[in-house]
Amino acid sequence: MKIEVAKSKSRWFTASGIGLGIGLVAMVISLLTLGSPLRLGLDFTGGTLLQLQFPKAIPDIAKVRAEVAEAGYPNSVVQQIGNDTIAVRTRPLSQEERSKLQDALKVDLGNFQLERIESVGPTLGQELLFNGLLSLALALAAILVYLAFRFQLDYALCAAVAMFHNVIATMGVFAILGLLLGIEVDTLFVVAILTIVGFSVQDTVVVFDRVRENLKFLSRKKPFPDIVNDSVNQTWVRSVNNNIAALLVLLPLSIFGGESIRYFALALIIGFVVGTYSSIFIAAALLVWWRERQAVGATGAGAAKAER
Amino acid sequence: MRQRTLLLLLVAVVIVGSILIVATRPTVLGLDLQGGSQLTLLAKPTDKVKVINQEVMKGVAAVVEQRVNGLGVSEAVVQLKGSDQILVQLPGVKDPTQAERLLGDTAQLEFRKEAPNGEFEKTDLTGADLTNAFPQALQSGNGWEVALEFTGPGGEKFARITRDLAGTGRRLGVFLDEEAISTPTVGVEFVDRGITGGKAVITGNFSAQEASELGIKLKAGALPVPVEIIENRTVSATLGADSVRQSLYTGIAGTLLVFIFMVAYYRLPGLIADMALIIYGLSTFAIFKLIPVTLTLPGIAGFILSIGMAVDANVLIFERTKEELRAGKQLFTAVEAGFSRAFTSIFDSHATSLISCAVLFWLGTGLVKGFALTLAIGLIVNLFTSVTCSRTFLLTILNFPALRKPALFGVSDVPAKAVRP
Repeated sequence: MKIEVAKSKSRWFTASGIGLGIGLVAMVISLLTLGSPLRLGLDFTGGTLLQLQFPKAIPDIAKVRAEVAEAGYPNSVVQQIGNDTIAVRTRPLSQEERSKLQDALKVDLGNFQLERIESVGPTLGQELLFNGLLSLALALAAILVYLAFRFQLDYALCAAVAMFHNVIATMGVFAILGLLLGIEVDTLFVVAILTIVGFSVQDTVVVFDRVRENLKFLSRKKPFPDIVNDSVNQTWVRSVNNNIAALLVLLPLSIFGGESIRYFALALIIGFVVGTYSSIFIAAALLVWWRERQAVGATGAGAAKAER
Repeated sequence: MRQRTLLLLLVAVVIVGSILIVATRPTVLGLDLQGGSQLTLLAKPTDKVKVINQEVMKGVAAVVEQRVNGLGVSEAVVQLKGSDQILVQLPGVKDPTQAERLLGDTAQLEFRKEAPNGEFEKTDLTGADLTNAFPQALQSGNGWEVALEFTGPGGEKFARITRDLAGTGRRLGVFLDEEAISTPTVGVEFVDRGITGGKAVITGNFSAQEASELGIKLKAGALPVPVEIIENRTVSATLGADSVRQSLYTGIAGTLLVFIFMVAYYRLPGLIADMALIIYGLSTFAIFKLIPVTLTLPGIAGFILSIGMAVDANVLIFERTKEELRAGKQLFTAVEAGFSRAFTSIFDSHATSLISCAVLFWLGTGLVKGFALTLAIGLIVNLFTSVTCSRTFLLTILNFPALRKPALFGVSDVPAKAVRP
């Protein structure tokens, strides 16, 4: 199968533009309704999560909700997890408040095992969010420096654009999931994004490495867009196969993994698929577009000189 | 040829060593997998201690450590985090709420004298003057009290204070964190010398548990500044065990899928890559146990993910080998070229991922650090297994004429000259 990248650049740019556009719109809607571009989880907003496992009959979820509200936390989220577990999420509770809530629930709902407590104070939540964003910014910067060091500047810039493309696409999907299904992002999501950044740049680097190698042998014989096109065709099978291998381990994680790991794996799957797509269709196409524009600029300047 | 024999020997040593380590060393599981509590305490400045510096934090940590010891949790960890936080890990703690109660209170014990106007005045006798505090049953057998033992000077202070109060009807106030927990009167018989002997009891209507907790807190001493528990992540042992089982199943399922995929697509080299993958998994796990790396749920996810990514280098190499074969190169040369030409790309791609890991490790908190560390170790081990191991295997196998068939490399459209011996 031969892939055509160089000539049909605009098609891929449009497709990506539309995709990213939808994601950005979702982030804006989310920003207006929820106050942040993605639905932030307990890690970042602060809050208390209690996971109650009922050894016998699991009570009606509506009843649990009512009991939690009656105990003084009307704006809490109550969800069923699996067959026998109920998760209750409230604002950050102190140890006394939490003990009181547990006792109240025990009286009304029957005995349960407390499987998990997760409690994060609001200040710590802000700190975690800040740390997450800082690490993201630093990782992006570090990789940019590495790329600029390894490749010529325009290669590095194209790889960087593809990298941001992947990050925005993954965040866009989670903005939509947050709006539609209430899926939240936590510290692990930041980890996923950072992994996507590292992984998706790999794909682009492999394509660009090939372009460089081919340029050494072929630059006299073939125009630049053809060389890029050849390079993409020589590497895309590897990119796709590599992606398949990663997806094969991530799919079981996203289906059977626990609550927190599931969405982590999902974020990685989205990021990896988009990453492979962008390394083939966006990074390489951008490089061609950039070189063509420069060539036009150069000949334009030359022509202007000749006229003088 | 000699070099290859040596490499094969090295690989064999790595395999045997890894198996030995995996079999004998224990796996260190994080709190989210073995069950337990992780608490983060934030020290808060007061009027007296306006700035929280290292010195203050060391004091806080020392007291916290004492109290944690009182809890009787083995292998508990207390460590400073940032400029004003303390991380406390309590593996297998039975009652996380009790731990919070114990660690959260300042436990500033004060003995005060009731003034004639009914107010309690501070004295110089505080919790710092204690050498011991422990619960004991009331003589009536109906409830508990906390017995105190003072230091020498503390005992003298106590004697002086009780002498002043004896027979006046004014009470002695025992205050904990500004709250009166017991206000006994001192009998007239102590009017001469006060209560001597350096011992006292606090009777405050305690249950056995309350008395024991107060004993632990008083013995550990007061915190120099108040603390707030700003984070609590507790997982029960059952949930932890469930997570371990789940990770194991998903890991095995994913690895098997990758195995099948590699053989189905790349044939003989795929099989070699699978062997390299087994060595990869084995030796990485051995390194985890050797260091030892504390395995957390995200850490295991990172390890599982690295298995999926570990074949990347081999995929790169084999695709390159196929290309060289199609270009008409001899099998041997094609394999060599595949490895040498793919190496730049392999190195670059590992470097970018390692950069991400470094940032994660540097800035991340506990769980995130675990993920970054496992992924990074995996990436480095991968360089060895997917390049050195699979190259050695492949070249060794090519010694068997029966296996020197391009079809076994997934290439059918080979120019005729490549098949000729």
